[in-house]
Amino acid sequence: MNYKPDESTLIAYLYGELNEKEAKKLEAYFQQHPDELASLRKLGDVRESMSHAQDKEVIAPPVFVDDAGVRPLWQSPYIRVSIGIAASILFLLTAGKLLGPEIKYSEGELRISFGKKSEQPTQSAGLSEEKINELISTSLAKNNESIAASRTEDQRKLMQTLVDFNSKKMDALTKTVSQASQEQVRSFVSNLQDQNLKLMKDYFQLSAADQKKYMENMLVDFSNYLQEQRKQDLQFVQAKVNSLEKNNNQFKQETEQILTSLISNPGKKKNNY
Amino acid sequence: MAETLLDIAMMHSDSLIARAREGDKNAQGKLVQLWYKRIYNFSYKFFFDHDLAMEVSQKTFISMHKNLVGLQEVTRFKSWLYTIAVNYCREEARKKKASRSFSLHDLNPGEGEESYRWEESHHRNENPERQLRHSELSDLLQACLMELSHEQREVVIMKEYEGLKFREIAEALNISENTVKSRMYYGLDGLKKILEQKKITKETIGYEL
Repeated sequence: MNYKPDESTLIAYLYGELNEKEAKKLEAYFQQHPDELASLRKLGDVRESMSHAQDKEVIAPPVFVDDAGVRPLWQSPYIRVSIGIAASILFLLTAGKLLGPEIKYSEGELRISFGKKSEQPTQSAGLSEEKINELISTSLAKNNESIAASRTEDQRKLMQTLVDFNSKKMDALTKTVSQASQEQVRSFVSNLQDQNLKLMKDYFQLSAADQKKYMENMLVDFSNYLQEQRKQDLQFVQAKVNSLEKNNNQFKQETEQILTSLISNPGKKKNNY
Repeated sequence: MAETLLDIAMMHSDSLIARAREGDKNAQGKLVQLWYKRIYNFSYKFFFDHDLAMEVSQKTFISMHKNLVGLQEVTRFKSWLYTIAVNYCREEARKKKASRSFSLHDLNPGEGEESYRWEESHHRNENPERQLRHSELSDLLQACLMELSHEQREVVIMKEYEGLKFREIAEALNISENTVKSRMYYGLDGLKKILEQKKITKETIGYEL
């Protein structure tokens, strides 16, 4: 018997996938060759040993897959992005229409406003410096004119008031005077004269007393002065006399010395010559 | 491998696939829920890396969603889905080979309670220590699996853990059934040698557990 099973047949037998005819043929062969059967059983042992390798437990994660093949055109990324942008612009336009936003940038000021513009007066844009100066000067001139007019008016009113007041006072005085009687006027004048006379008298009396006192003082002072002067003159004369007397005595002594000298040395010649 | 309600639902999901193919979002979502764990675990066993497995799983289902309309036969959905997963696994493997990045866990996995696997092992109503031993054994076997070539690993995972028939694997990998069986044979033979090297046998596994 030349039958020798190949590896495929042996493996098919090991896994029970060999047909009945082939299996019987192989079993007959194993009876003839028990070593081959033992060898195959060892492979069976390997299977048994390897069967202890356990399965790992795992939970299937959710798998999200996009339908790339059947995706309609309007779902493609490009179209969706475009539609998104268009929708955003439309939304902004609608919101703009409804809210009426106004974005303004002028002179470093960014202003975003919604709804109707407020009625508060706003400065007209574009005013130049010259125009502003002109407006200021015009305003100042008007202000000055107004102040001057007001002042003139006030002065006029003040003068009018004063005049009215004085005239009223004078009128009242005149009226008072006109109402006074002749007797009263005379009495008043005489009284006034008496007062003046008394005043003059007092003045002259006071003046005469002062002058008398002054003259007396002046005479006393003058006599004192004369006395003092005389005293000084006498002292001066005395001093002069004393001086003269002293000089005279000195002259007298010198003369005596000379005479004495002449007398004591009458015949001697001077040897010095 | 004991069949769960999920497995039964997966086996009888032809009408669901048909509805999903017609654009039923609800059906597509259910398909993801049904198949996510299988594709994740296939990718995880292929890379032994959670992040890469998540990446491949998400890409696989995104691709499934986009290309489900082009699926001709509903009955070939399973192999078709694994085809997508395998292609993404190969793509990620190429990227990984180019970048040569390592997980911090790979650099210092720790031992016992210091291992990051200790925290992962704490499931409710289970013995944490027993769960830790299972987890460590699973990682050890996974490490053995990683020593196989890509071609053998793909086939071994699909057959041994995903329960595909040789015909379905051949369809998924677009190779002949004989090639699949041959890769499977040499893959198991390679694993036998690797397990022997690491002194892992049925008996030692039974003792450990």
